[in-house]
Amino acid sequence: MTRYCMVIDQRRCIGCHSCTVACRTWNELPNDIIYNAVMSEGVEGSWPNVHRNWLPTLCMHCEKPACVPCCPTGASQQDDDGVVWIEYNKCMACLACVNACPYGMRDKSNLRPRLHRFVQKCTFCRDHRAMEPDKEPYCVATCHQKARIFGDLDDPESEVSKLVGSVETVRLLEDLGTGPQIYYIPNLGGTR
Amino acid sequence: MAEIDIHAPGVEMVKSLCYFCHANCGVLAYVKDGDVIKIEGDPNYSTQGGLCCRGNSALLHVNHPARVNHVLKRAGEKGEGKWEKMDYDTAIQEVADRLNQIKEESGAEAVASAGGTTRTDDWARRRFLNQFGTPNGFHNALLCWIPTFMAETCVSGWSPFETDLGAARCLILWGMNPGASTLPGMHGYTDLQMGGMKIIVVDPRYSETACKADLWLPLRPGSDAALALAMLHTILYGGMADYDYIDKWCSGYDELMAHVAEYTPEWASEITWLEPDLIRQAATMYATNRPGCIQWGCTWDQIGRASTTGSHAIALLRAVTGNIEVPGGDGMPGPALNFLTDEELELNECLPEEQKPKQISRFKLTSWPGYQLISDNARRQWGKTLPTEWFCEAHGPSVFKAIITGDPYQIRALICNATNPVNSYGDAKMVLEAIKKVEFLVVVDYWITPTALFADYVFPAAGALERPTIVTHYGATDSLMAGARAIQPKYDRHDDYQFWKKLGLACGQDPANWPWETVEDAYFHVIEGLGLPIEKYEDFVNHVRMYFPPLHQSKFIDHGGFWTPSKKIELDSSIMRELGFPGMPTYIGTIENPIDTPELLDEYPLVLTTGGGFMPFHHSEHFNMPNLRYIYPTPFFSIHPDTAAPLHIEYGDWCWIETRRGRIKMRANVEPEIAPGTIFCPRGWWFPERDGSADLNNPFGCLESNVNTLTSVDAEDCDPMGGSWANRGLLCKVYPCTELDHEFTAKDAEWSIPGNAKTPGVSVMPSDQPLAREPIPFEKPACDREVPEGYYWVWQDGLVYNKDSHFRLDESGWLVDPKSNAYIDAYTGWRYDANNDCLVDDATGDKYTMDREPLTYVAGVRTYPGKDAPYEVPSNLTWDKELGYARLNDLMYIYDPNSGWMIDPETNVYHDANYGYAYDPNEQNLIDMKTGKRYSMSYEEITDAQGATAEPSAEAQVEAAEAAAAEEEAE
Repeated sequence: MTRYCMVIDQRRCIGCHSCTVACRTWNELPNDIIYNAVMSEGVEGSWPNVHRNWLPTLCMHCEKPACVPCCPTGASQQDDDGVVWIEYNKCMACLACVNACPYGMRDKSNLRPRLHRFVQKCTFCRDHRAMEPDKEPYCVATCHQKARIFGDLDDPESEVSKLVGSVETVRLLEDLGTGPQIYYIPNLGGTR
Repeated sequence: MAEIDIHAPGVEMVKSLCYFCHANCGVLAYVKDGDVIKIEGDPNYSTQGGLCCRGNSALLHVNHPARVNHVLKRAGEKGEGKWEKMDYDTAIQEVADRLNQIKEESGAEAVASAGGTTRTDDWARRRFLNQFGTPNGFHNALLCWIPTFMAETCVSGWSPFETDLGAARCLILWGMNPGASTLPGMHGYTDLQMGGMKIIVVDPRYSETACKADLWLPLRPGSDAALALAMLHTILYGGMADYDYIDKWCSGYDELMAHVAEYTPEWASEITWLEPDLIRQAATMYATNRPGCIQWGCTWDQIGRASTTGSHAIALLRAVTGNIEVPGGDGMPGPALNFLTDEELELNECLPEEQKPKQISRFKLTSWPGYQLISDNARRQWGKTLPTEWFCEAHGPSVFKAIITGDPYQIRALICNATNPVNSYGDAKMVLEAIKKVEFLVVVDYWITPTALFADYVFPAAGALERPTIVTHYGATDSLMAGARAIQPKYDRHDDYQFWKKLGLACGQDPANWPWETVEDAYFHVIEGLGLPIEKYEDFVNHVRMYFPPLHQSKFIDHGGFWTPSKKIELDSSIMRELGFPGMPTYIGTIENPIDTPELLDEYPLVLTTGGGFMPFHHSEHFNMPNLRYIYPTPFFSIHPDTAAPLHIEYGDWCWIETRRGRIKMRANVEPEIAPGTIFCPRGWWFPERDGSADLNNPFGCLESNVNTLTSVDAEDCDPMGGSWANRGLLCKVYPCTELDHEFTAKDAEWSIPGNAKTPGVSVMPSDQPLAREPIPFEKPACDREVPEGYYWVWQDGLVYNKDSHFRLDESGWLVDPKSNAYIDAYTGWRYDANNDCLVDDATGDKYTMDREPLTYVAGVRTYPGKDAPYEVPSNLTWDKELGYARLNDLMYIYDPNSGWMIDPETNVYHDANYGYAYDPNEQNLIDMKTGKRYSMSYEEITDAQGATAEPSAEAQVEAAEAAAAEEEAE
């Protein structure tokens, strides 16, 4: 089986927002929709003993996504490889999935009139990869720092499964039981 | 949201390079029907497929609705924003006529040209300016590398800027934030750091890079020189220098020891706000983790009068630790010896000698006086030199002041190519006045910038996807990287080469000086010397892409020393002294600081640092791209919470930031990103979304949030050596905008020379303002020998060099070419060919005898007409003195003493020297041409029965032999 996931190395992320812009540009997102914001608490601590971290985000492509069963039309669905996506022409923008997602990773855009809306979110660049199977999601390919690593967790030879197996990783809101498939390598100070 | 199919029929992939900053990431552009439909980072390029925010937005840039796509001629008053579209060539002719008229009336020097960063074909600009006759081309070069480069070249003969990080154990990122400015570099640093390399970051701000450092030195902005001098002191007095290296390769050690005695870490602590032990720790980490690198950072050149002192001290840090030009250290590439440098494309010889002193600059290191010394030395040492573009320029702020004051003379025309000086040069209010006032302004740009708004003509520029790109680091390195143009320029956009070529031809310049039809033709000319089997520039891009000479550290060992006049790393620089500067870095403070200007502290208690780059913008660009602007929609400055609290400033509040020169407003980012008492303001801000013509005091808001409204370009605030103006370590105050005081008014836009908001207008003529440091008188030692005409004597090494070629006059009377170490005939310039004992004119390939008489060759064999045989002539041959070669009987063949065969000069067929039989290389036997009989190589007759094949006719044999001989010759 294939089980797509992403490892995000916070030790390497420098908060340049390239992933966000690449995603917006090539997925042609309108100005008010962001799939994969890079969050930061800013600089914390007491000068000069300060630290800062960036938290690149995106849809967690959960093993048990809360956003799929709640969809009344079946638009919100999950592929066998774990990718959660929305079939736009079935979506009636009831926003049930938006409310269900514990990570807030589905767009809450209000720009378009209701009837012309559909909910959007990251699909690990499902369409892009379908057309070019060798390519990685845009946010991964564009990252200079190689802080985002994409791959098949079920493939023991993949970089992601090696990383998840060897480096300590954390997942966001793991105790909710949705099984998020984004693994963060936290930056615990320094880079080692 | 349809996915673009790059595999569709008719889609072509072009290997291009991004040029939204200097990192030049590899780009694959997918082109269909002459338009780019998609781009992606090139995974096979050194940047490994990475692209930043800007790179990803390239297509939005190409097709941006606000781009200037046709020539715009001013139709209303300056700044009114009324334009008339024009045909490109007609506009060029009009501009050329006007420039020629100004030249006739006021001299060529009345025309100046401003440039931006090196993202244009600047050699073409200099080619134009040199032929036109003006020395007044300039860039923001003095804020970016050039003063540092020149100081380093004085110390060690070239800038050691190519870090060999793979083998380094320690890296200092000093005043550099690759995490926001050079992302591919940051990737490499992070990888190496994870492999064990230590990274020391010197930055007053807890930057994207500082937060990954092993050791971070948050110094007071602008105090870099003090830190470097204290580190130098620590290393020298702590016994941590590389004494073998100093002993063999450096001069001036004792002088330096004495010179830095006073610069203790305790002394520096007060200036830098760093604990003495932290300074010691950094110096120790660098000195004991050898080899190590210090990466150049832009900050070094932006501290105003303390700039070059700092970079000079850092150059010495590298030297005393033995880190220059060694594996794992800072390598010096030197000029490209096997492809053409930018300098060789500039036609500097076209600039009349009498124009050079007219260059507007009082800062000798980076203008003609310093360039001449450094460049002549480079020619003597390397055989090639630095471009004059960047390395020998007018002082931009002084040119703007000359426009306003007519001092030292009136500048009447300004051509701005790829620059928006109002935002990017210091003292923005004064620059805006100059832009408004200049009689004739031509702008080449993508957009109507605040500068372009006042132009008489705006020419549309081609972007990175619309022109080919060669990266040679300002023409100062021996490697190159290349990208192709994805598409021809859209609309009426032109690349820079076409602009300058057309303008040059329209001005009446010699077409022979503009020989290349396209940039690609010019670039092919550049790389032809590499000797690659390619027929056009695109072949290089497609099949080679990058050229790096073999790794060649420790070149100084073969060279017999470094590339300075004394062949040593000069810890006490002779060129600096000759220019009237201290030969060793001598501390000088920032323009405003508690020690030198304590009277300012009451009013301006905070330290301001400006000029740092930040994502997603580059310089003053990209503020008009919504795809990027959404990340950073309004200007923010950083302030520590402890500083903000008593000022009643909270996150997001609009505040005024004020220096002696003016005030701007930005929003407060209250976080401990910067030390208490310090303010960080990012650069570049203007607001393209506004109507520029609505407020000509502040068009497009180009002053109100622009840090350059706060910076100083006063002569005494500039670096007395390189001319850098003051962006860092200024004193300021900050207060929140109030309901009654939140508009940037006409009063706020009042300009002054020298920069002082309290007395608007010109109160001192620029030439009358003192420099930060008066020149130190220098007397050259007297020449102790007779120097022949056409030669000059170099006081440092006591040797004599040829004026034209800069080749050394050897004791033997020959000249020595430093590139090849070949001996050159002093009278003719012909090279001595030791193998053939003759002279060769490399320009034509002709050979000459040692008596400088033409050498004659017949059928590839050297002859000696009118002479006795210079070799032993076999007894069966006769020497023909008249013809100068040996013959066999009356046959016309020529004896070749090297092979022992006779050669027929008409057919080049070999004949044996005993009977004159022709050699048949196919059958490997001999043929008697008279009889058609064949003989073996030992002259035994071969009968038909013995022959493996039927006897071919004599004619066929000759043909075969000829073909074989021709083939042989071709090889």
